[in-house]
Amino acid sequence: MAETTPPATPAAQPALPPAGPDEVALTIDGRPLVVKKGTTVLQAAETIGLLVPHYCYHPGLSIAGNCRMCLVEIDKMPKLQIGCATQAAQGMVVRTANERVTRMRRGIMEFLLINHPLDCPICDQAGECRLQQYEAAYGAGFSRFNEEKVHAPKRESIGPHVMFDGERCIKCTRCIRFTDEVSQSHELGLFQRGDHAIIGTFPGKPLDNPYSGNTVDICPVGALTLKEFRFKARVWFLKDVPSVCGGCARGCNVNLATYRNRIHRMTPRFNPEVNDYWMCDPGRLSYQALEERPRLAGPVVRRAAGAGPADAWSGALDAAAALLRGVKERSGDQALAALVSARLTVEDLFMARRVLAETIGVSRLAVPPHQDGEDDRLLIRRDKTPNGRGAALVGVGAPHAGRVREIVDDVATGRVRALVVIGEDPLGEGLLTSAALAKLEALVVIDWWRSPTAEAADVALPACGYGEAEGVFVNFEGRAQRARAAVRPTGLADPTWRILAALGSRFGLPGDYPSASGVFDEVAATAPAFAGLSYRALGELGVRVQET
Amino acid sequence: MAYEPLLLRNIAKPGSETIDISLASGGYQGLRRVLKELTPEKFLEEVKAAGLRGRGGAGFPTGMKWSFLPKTRDKPRYLCVNADESEPGTFKDRLLIERDPHLVLEGIILSCFAIESRRAFFYIRGEFHKGARIFARAVEEAYARGFLGKNILGSGYDLEVTIYRGAGAYICGEETALLESLEGKRGLPRIKPPFPAIVGLYGCPTIINNVETLANVTLIAERGAAWYAGIGRPPKNTGPKLYCVSGHVKRPGVYEAALGIPLMELINERAGGMLHADRPLKAVIPGGSSMRILPAAKCDVLMDFDSLVAAGSMLGSAGVVVMDQSTCMVGALLNLAGFYAHESCGQCTPCREGTGWFVKILTRLERGEGRAEDVDLLIDVASRVEGNTICPFGEAIAWPIDSYVKTFRAEFEAHVTRRGCPKGAAAFEVNAMSGTGH
Repeated sequence: MAETTPPATPAAQPALPPAGPDEVALTIDGRPLVVKKGTTVLQAAETIGLLVPHYCYHPGLSIAGNCRMCLVEIDKMPKLQIGCATQAAQGMVVRTANERVTRMRRGIMEFLLINHPLDCPICDQAGECRLQQYEAAYGAGFSRFNEEKVHAPKRESIGPHVMFDGERCIKCTRCIRFTDEVSQSHELGLFQRGDHAIIGTFPGKPLDNPYSGNTVDICPVGALTLKEFRFKARVWFLKDVPSVCGGCARGCNVNLATYRNRIHRMTPRFNPEVNDYWMCDPGRLSYQALEERPRLAGPVVRRAAGAGPADAWSGALDAAAALLRGVKERSGDQALAALVSARLTVEDLFMARRVLAETIGVSRLAVPPHQDGEDDRLLIRRDKTPNGRGAALVGVGAPHAGRVREIVDDVATGRVRALVVIGEDPLGEGLLTSAALAKLEALVVIDWWRSPTAEAADVALPACGYGEAEGVFVNFEGRAQRARAAVRPTGLADPTWRILAALGSRFGLPGDYPSASGVFDEVAATAPAFAGLSYRALGELGVRVQET
Repeated sequence: MAYEPLLLRNIAKPGSETIDISLASGGYQGLRRVLKELTPEKFLEEVKAAGLRGRGGAGFPTGMKWSFLPKTRDKPRYLCVNADESEPGTFKDRLLIERDPHLVLEGIILSCFAIESRRAFFYIRGEFHKGARIFARAVEEAYARGFLGKNILGSGYDLEVTIYRGAGAYICGEETALLESLEGKRGLPRIKPPFPAIVGLYGCPTIINNVETLANVTLIAERGAAWYAGIGRPPKNTGPKLYCVSGHVKRPGVYEAALGIPLMELINERAGGMLHADRPLKAVIPGGSSMRILPAAKCDVLMDFDSLVAAGSMLGSAGVVVMDQSTCMVGALLNLAGFYAHESCGQCTPCREGTGWFVKILTRLERGEGRAEDVDLLIDVASRVEGNTICPFGEAIAWPIDSYVKTFRAEFEAHVTRRGCPKGAAAFEVNAMSGTGH
């Protein structure tokens, strides 16, 4: 054979690696690999970093096989086969990018776009749209379609949170399968036929379930958009910060999408141990409280026992310390109590114990429970606090209505003379009355918003809100996960643990607490459940803490 | 020698749909013989030996299809009868159902016995009101005479038959869409594998057979595999066949002949020849609207599975549509494309989008708004539909598009250069066919 023979002649396939009893060896685009039996061609390609483009396939849903974008060539099979449904087999030879597959993909892209409105300039999906991505990667770049497009309803409200655009829809049926298989609420169906086929709701049954927002996430195009995010920001300006939802004890892993120091949306982040690909609508919209509620932008001192402030923060901290010290000296530790929230992070709660209980001598700390509704079969937990387990594990104590009650009663009778409230609103929630609070000699509140309790405080110290500070939540299953800071604190707000450290230093708290991770290192060193853990060890997906 | 009808032996008799007429002409004798003398395996072998191929369109060997059932018995097995006859140009099953339902029903019982199924579902096209009524009566009669129900003819074999009426969708004739519809869901074809023999109705092993196929099973039971295998063109094209002749012939209708009757004999002798003496044959669709068209020059062909494949088309459902020289092929194709655009289930991309696109291009051509590139565009778009869809519907539209345009290319080009239909587009209502009838 001449030396100039081009390498284009079908080269002998490379030798297959050995496969175990429940494995198969195959080659994809000439690369040998071994995968578990039952793995699809699409998933197998993924394991070696090869994308088989797809619209309808979603790893959290059943296989529909309708978009046809993942068709690949497999030796000995006359027709192209869909990678999403074809299982890898021993000795299989797969080609995902040869001329035949490339031509087919160009065809699929053309079909998908002939009746698509191409209204990218006003579409929220632009920038994260599979049609855009795949047209750039696999499309012809032009259309041979010269006809009137099929028209369908645009901006149709199909539920409290979801807007539907029938013209952008590619009928991949991900949303239908989600409502059938995951939320099991069955609101969506495919109606009509041919190129008039359209996704829709059944009469009298809007897309109104606590998980409806997920349909927007999994919609690969701009057909389903979230009302709360529509026209808020172009997605290419958004930066996703991985975090954990604080809406309930599940601790769904999320991304906080930020732009110009605002959180514009929350989307679920895959964690098979916690939330898979999903999150609930209340959690998804929980970030909105940050802007909806009136913020506590700086420290407020309404009653001071000492000299005037040097600056706002040190003056307010001095005032709080002086008030607490006065009560402690006059009435003893028994007159000091604190209500601490299970919405706080492990770091905050640890410092609450260290500073309030161990340094200042506050005799009683209690964590109010917040329960609403029932645990559902998917994600939503009745316990609306993200860190009840964390509160118990750092020694503050699990949420306990009885212990809260005792403190509240003692405030009313005047036995408690000084009350520290962190992240709770007993006045607004009716646990305490204004009259009861008026009996206190000192009410020190640390919170991120101007709650009724904060408004009544002698000293109110502004804390960071959700998304403004980092820290760890321990979910109801004992999984420690990191919530991150996605935006800068509002005004003079500071993380609660740092406020507590600064207060503690006025009572002789030793040590230096420069960072949340440093606080967590101390938690790990002192609380057995967290032994050996660190922010690095928690990683993106969290770690189950040691059960004791 | 004149052909002695087998499948249509009773249809001309008054009351041919009743069990008495059926019994008088030897009905259920085959069933008696099989239940008494044969095991299911033996009878399955007999059907295999007869060489029976499915009459629904694909021509797959029936016995082999049955043998794909898993050997395990952990789930019930079902027989689904595909009586959703909807292919344009095809009307043979309807005749059997309405005129000789017991020939079909006996075949159902025999087939269920062969595949060891105790439950058959008769899925009948929604528009077949009369057929559904007649078949329901036939089932009642069979129950009353002990051919259905418990312990059939004292054999210990039980079988229940349920009639299910479709809601009027062509796609439900595709066997997996039929299963979905039967399960009460929207009739969307399933992705295969798994095939119905493994995972079919309600997730159980299922065989789907065409009405005419099952009628042939009755014949095999009556007179044996050796006799049957001698009919037609053995070894691969055996048995009698119903041909539906329509279009420009003097006597359109259903004609029975042995597999392999010459197409021209079917047209000229059975169907009485061309409708107008001065309008010679232009083209024939040999196997229902989904099959590739044959120009007159290629019509010297035998009407069996393999001969038609060799001629570049397929026997399909044997719906023979005859077109004379007055036919505008653009208009004819537009008519077909409109049907397929209307009936595409909308599930998978190439078919959903492609069928509508064909209609739009063809409508422009017929209206005189075509562009020179449209002719090649049709062929190219068809090539991107074919082979890339979930079910054979993609081929069912791609094959006509490809074959009409390639075979009659000059006529398509003339629509562009002469800015309209040379025949005046009178034969077809362009507007009505523009795919907006949803």
